[in-house]
Amino acid sequence: MGGAPAASAGGRCERPPLLPRVAASQGGGMLGKGVGGGGGGTKAPKPSFVSYVRPEEIHTNEKEATEKEVTLHLLPGEQLLCEANTVLKCVQEDSCQRGIYGRLVCTDFKIAFLGDDESALDNDETQFKNKVIGENDITLHCVDQIYGVFDEKKKTLFGQLKKYPEKLVIHCKDLRVFHFCLRYTKEEEVKRIVSGIIHHTQAPKLLKRLFLFSYATAARNSPATDPKKHAVMFDTLQDWCRELERTKGNVKYKEVSVNEGYKVCERLPAYFVVPASLLEEDIAFFQGRGIPIWCWSCHNGCALLKMSALPKEQDDGLLQIQKNFLDRIYKTIHRPPYETAKTEDLSSNFLSLQEIQMAYSKFKQLFLIDNSTEFWDTDIKWFSLLESSSWLDIIRRCLKKAVEIIECLEAQNMNVLLLEDNASDLCCLISSLVQVMMDPHCRTIFGFQSLVQKEWIMGGHCFLDRCNHLRQSDKEEAPMFLLFLDCVWQLVHQHPPAFEFTETYLTVLSDSLYIPIFSTFFFNSPHQKDMNVHQRQLSLPLTQSKSSPKRGFFREETDHLIKNLLGKRISKLINSSEELQDGFREFYDSWHSRPPSYQGLLLPHLEGPEIKVWAQRYLRWIPEAQILGGGGVATMSKLLEMMEEVQRLQEKIEARHHSQEAPQAEAASPQRTSGRLSSLFPFALLQRHSSKPVLPTSGWKALGDEDDLAKREDEFVDLGDV
Amino acid sequence: MWWGGRGQSFNIAPQKEEPEMGLSGPKSVEGTGMPEPRSRQLGSCLASGGLPGEQILAWAPGVRKGLEPEMPGTLICSNLRVTFQPCGWQRSQETPLSSEYDFSLANIGRLEAVNGPSRVQLLRPGSLLKFIPEEILIHGQDFRLLRVGFEAGGLEPQAFQVTMAIIQARAQNSPTQQYAGITLSKAGQSSDSRKPPIPLLETTEDWETERKKQAARGWRVSTVNERFDVATSLPRYFWVPKRTLDSEVRRAFGHFHQGRGPRLSWHHPGGSDLLRCGGFYTASDPNKEDIRAVESMLQAGHSDVVLVDTMDELPNLADVQLAHLRLRALCLPDSSVAEDKWLSALEGTRWLDYTRSCLRKASDVSVLVTSRVRSVVLQERGDRDFNGLLSSLVQLLSAPEARTLLGFQSLVQREWVAAGHPFLTRLGGSGSSEEAPVFLLFLDCVWQLLQQFPAEFEFSEFFLLALHDSVRVPDTLTFLRDTPWERGKQGGQFNNYTQVYTSGYSQPLAGNSINPQLSVWDWNLRYSNKQILQFRNPGYDPEHCPDSWLPRQQPSFMVPGPPSSMWLFSRGALTPLNQLCPWRDSPSLLAVSSRWLPRPAISSESLADQEWGLPSHWGACPLPPGLLLPGCLGPQIRLWRRCYLRGRPEVQMGLSAPTISGLQEELSHLQELLRKWTPRISPEDHCKEKNPNTILSQSR
Repeated sequence: MGGAPAASAGGRCERPPLLPRVAASQGGGMLGKGVGGGGGGTKAPKPSFVSYVRPEEIHTNEKEATEKEVTLHLLPGEQLLCEANTVLKCVQEDSCQRGIYGRLVCTDFKIAFLGDDESALDNDETQFKNKVIGENDITLHCVDQIYGVFDEKKKTLFGQLKKYPEKLVIHCKDLRVFHFCLRYTKEEEVKRIVSGIIHHTQAPKLLKRLFLFSYATAARNSPATDPKKHAVMFDTLQDWCRELERTKGNVKYKEVSVNEGYKVCERLPAYFVVPASLLEEDIAFFQGRGIPIWCWSCHNGCALLKMSALPKEQDDGLLQIQKNFLDRIYKTIHRPPYETAKTEDLSSNFLSLQEIQMAYSKFKQLFLIDNSTEFWDTDIKWFSLLESSSWLDIIRRCLKKAVEIIECLEAQNMNVLLLEDNASDLCCLISSLVQVMMDPHCRTIFGFQSLVQKEWIMGGHCFLDRCNHLRQSDKEEAPMFLLFLDCVWQLVHQHPPAFEFTETYLTVLSDSLYIPIFSTFFFNSPHQKDMNVHQRQLSLPLTQSKSSPKRGFFREETDHLIKNLLGKRISKLINSSEELQDGFREFYDSWHSRPPSYQGLLLPHLEGPEIKVWAQRYLRWIPEAQILGGGGVATMSKLLEMMEEVQRLQEKIEARHHSQEAPQAEAASPQRTSGRLSSLFPFALLQRHSSKPVLPTSGWKALGDEDDLAKREDEFVDLGDV
Repeated sequence: MWWGGRGQSFNIAPQKEEPEMGLSGPKSVEGTGMPEPRSRQLGSCLASGGLPGEQILAWAPGVRKGLEPEMPGTLICSNLRVTFQPCGWQRSQETPLSSEYDFSLANIGRLEAVNGPSRVQLLRPGSLLKFIPEEILIHGQDFRLLRVGFEAGGLEPQAFQVTMAIIQARAQNSPTQQYAGITLSKAGQSSDSRKPPIPLLETTEDWETERKKQAARGWRVSTVNERFDVATSLPRYFWVPKRTLDSEVRRAFGHFHQGRGPRLSWHHPGGSDLLRCGGFYTASDPNKEDIRAVESMLQAGHSDVVLVDTMDELPNLADVQLAHLRLRALCLPDSSVAEDKWLSALEGTRWLDYTRSCLRKASDVSVLVTSRVRSVVLQERGDRDFNGLLSSLVQLLSAPEARTLLGFQSLVQREWVAAGHPFLTRLGGSGSSEEAPVFLLFLDCVWQLLQQFPAEFEFSEFFLLALHDSVRVPDTLTFLRDTPWERGKQGGQFNNYTQVYTSGYSQPLAGNSINPQLSVWDWNLRYSNKQILQFRNPGYDPEHCPDSWLPRQQPSFMVPGPPSSMWLFSRGALTPLNQLCPWRDSPSLLAVSSRWLPRPAISSESLADQEWGLPSHWGACPLPPGLLLPGCLGPQIRLWRRCYLRGRPEVQMGLSAPTISGLQEELSHLQELLRKWTPRISPEDHCKEKNPNTILSQSR
């Protein structure tokens, strides 16, 4: 087989070259895939062949099938662990055994299913494919739950199994659901693959065993792009220095290198920023605890600071020492030139990690459906189910907290000091939200990635524990970063022109949490990363699949219709509870009564109808949710077309303006993309060119006898040939 | 009656008013106030803008609140409407009614007077005002809100007078009353060649033209109901199979509920026919010939017939009415639902659930119509509510033509107005208990489609809103009558009718089909040209232009034999029928209850699934071009916020920016610039768009 030779670039390839279809037929089939983009077999398309054949019949075809079989493509450093043949990947309906046959494999990176019959993809589709993870690939870290079906009963699988299931159901963290039927697979293969998958996805793992390291070693030689092009990494003193200058915080705050080599503590990054008047020896006093650390400065000089709490002590003497220490610290920062500071304790009176984790586990169940029947059943109570998960309410509370803090910074001219035990969960969330809302720089792709790097990576968010990548303890698990992305999505959804990126960017970013070839989200702290990664820097993939509307592209005045309807609220409070200060309400109301300026402060709407479900992320794998030719994508092509036109005209005008010569060559008219996309684009791809109408062979109740069918055949509208 | 004292109507919590007072209390009003000169202006304004027969009952200067910036002006109550006339605004002669500033009396849903932060009185017909009104709140049934603060804190006697006048005028207003005179004045302006903006389907020619457009060759226009003696609720003309004689039609129709027998709604270019009819009239005892006539009309020449039980899985009228009332209560600006309970409260209205049921059913029926050549008959007992809704939705889903501005208006005219949807009763005009806003439910469904398929519709959300708001403006008879017969009687149509039959009576106007009757489609009565421009969806980008269509495949109308397969479509599945009519054997269609029920779990596979292997194997086979299949899942059915939450200004803000229209503006701006520099670049492409007339009256 000509499989996978040139593909070692692993996810780094640019646009896959279009290969002639001929190559895809026999043994050469793999070639196309391999060169395709590093994903190789992993780039398997959605099956375009639907097997309606009874399972018994398939065995006669087995030989033929294996000939056509697709070889697995491995990333550099990736090793095949176990495999099983004649696995039926079912369509998500239990009643009928429809699906495609193929090979199920488990490597140290992913679980992959290789279908028997996969025709080559059209280039239209491949250009929007994930370069690393194919449609039927599940990275080991992406596996959420594994169930086995024994005699129609579904049970969670873990540990050593006594009996092997006839069907394997895998729920993924990106909310895909796979059904693999093992009924026609050889028994020993079933044993091997099931126990292999369970072991490699569920057993506790050592950090050293992460695929990240094998990949980094193996792929050392391939050229890496410079991460600095995509984000400020905040791993040098200069980066912090420049950030201080950018936000004009350098008068009152200074960058310190006291923690270089992690001498002071391992939680903090090597470099960070503190108030200028703070003594450097104080930083070391409690290993960096109790120290206000600078996050960001507002245009009026007020700053957002964070502080991790001092250890809880019982001893009176120690407590006294702590008290004296804190008094001294507070005095330094309460003196001019510092504004008065407000302390916001995020450890108490706000969300707990358990609450967040619980809400999300309830919430995701709404989308992890095994079959469509379940979905129909939930439709009627959809809204109350949604509400009872309280995930949306948690999002609202986070956004609201951020708005409250902004009100302090912006309207009351106060510094805000966020306080949390480790200053690495809610601190990261709230401080990044504040910055996204207040600093337009953070709404560009570069700025946003820098923000994630600054607040989350350097801020020491424990990605490893919160995502439970090592499967060591469920207790630490909480989808903090996802919560942040969901909050940002609300903002993007409410004010799309204010952002350089689209929701698709956020969705792709959320998927990156589970792809262990990027080191970004696989460590608990910069210290841990530095200790473990001596190899080359692997950073976040910057795969953005769609172009996004340009910032500042639109004129600011809104539609006059909307403008007419602007106004102050009549009587509605944001929240009926009395804890809300008038200041906050006034601030919120007055911002919303003005037409939004996308270049400045951006506040979200917090009312009930305004917080929504991030449909793209949560619904994208549910076939029933697809709207053919509909959804936002339908306008996207029109939008892009018009933008091209506008650009072309602008260029023309520019040319006119500078030289009075007539414009030269007319630019080619924008190309029309043909065909209808689906609302789930680019995650579920639709454009197939199958021309055979599928005769309905199931479903019709009491269709009548064969003669009848034959008689009616002439009346059948042959849709395929249209 | 003093309602406020018991506290039920104190939905406006006291503290909520406070910031309002601080920012824009009566004091700021005084600054701008100059009551004396304005009253002189008023006379001239009203004289120019009043309708014939309109009398000003009272007026008072005030400030319209809830908008930014606040708008000083005058609140006027006449015997026809309540108007807030902003300072310096002149009613244009062209648009005698204003969509922005007029509130027709029939539209007033709730009236409240406010004094200070704590005193609110709900004003009902016959109420006496208990205090000096500082402010008056008029909640429209169309979800609009008019909120006027009176000058000088309401101390001037006018404030009291105008409030009382509104209470009285509202009590005396009869919903059947039309703004008489508009017709005359408007018709007078362009009497010579006025043609209705869309065919009103009141003449045989209109029906014939439409039939030809649909290429329904097996059908003809029947004139059997020309005198409304078959059924007053039916239009004078309708389509029946070519081979059926009028005498057979008359005979067959007698066996249907209220004489509403099977008629063609739409002919699918692929050959299928969509029919609608009322329920079988069980008490009748038809003879063999009658039964044969009925059967052949249902069969319409096809060998495959599917009867669709329309009401199955759909809400009944009372359900719809209750849901709408709940929705209105929920969307009031002062609704007391907490933010974190909003979703379950929304679900509790069931409105979205009903929307979903309608869409799902329509989607199934369009699959039925598209997948095979057959006759699909929608059967509803009354044939005047959900048949119209379903048949219109099916056409919107399957016919790109119906998604154009013109096509949609014709569709509503045909399937709702001409087909005899009892608008007056359903919208609460006739005082009967059968109020149910089925038409508004339909508009919501269309909005759902619009937002699911933003590039497939030529009209915009703004257009749907305009239509939504028009149902209670008594300027035309379109929505003011229950049947075509009543509408015709009122509109003087029978003058034409008698004229036809008593030839000799000569009318001054040439041509006997000129009808000065205005319809709701005369948008320029209420909307300015600038507003009408916004009826067009800038994102309209039909993937399938109406010309490229399925191959014109005509069914053979040759086989008159009995249908070889008959099905009943119910609960998402087809069950075979032994016979089409219930009269021969006792167990019948009528036994199938029309209760609204959730879809049973077994039929989870949608019809599209069964037909094309969709969507489980999406892409296995492309959908027929032009067919839209809407998403009906919980998360996909949304709240029409721009309509229902209009009273809550805070929600309106920052609704995602209209990016395409923004771009379009940018585009025309650039083109303009470019044109200035190079005059030879022909301006035709964007000039065309700027003329509202071309939008509404493209060649048809």
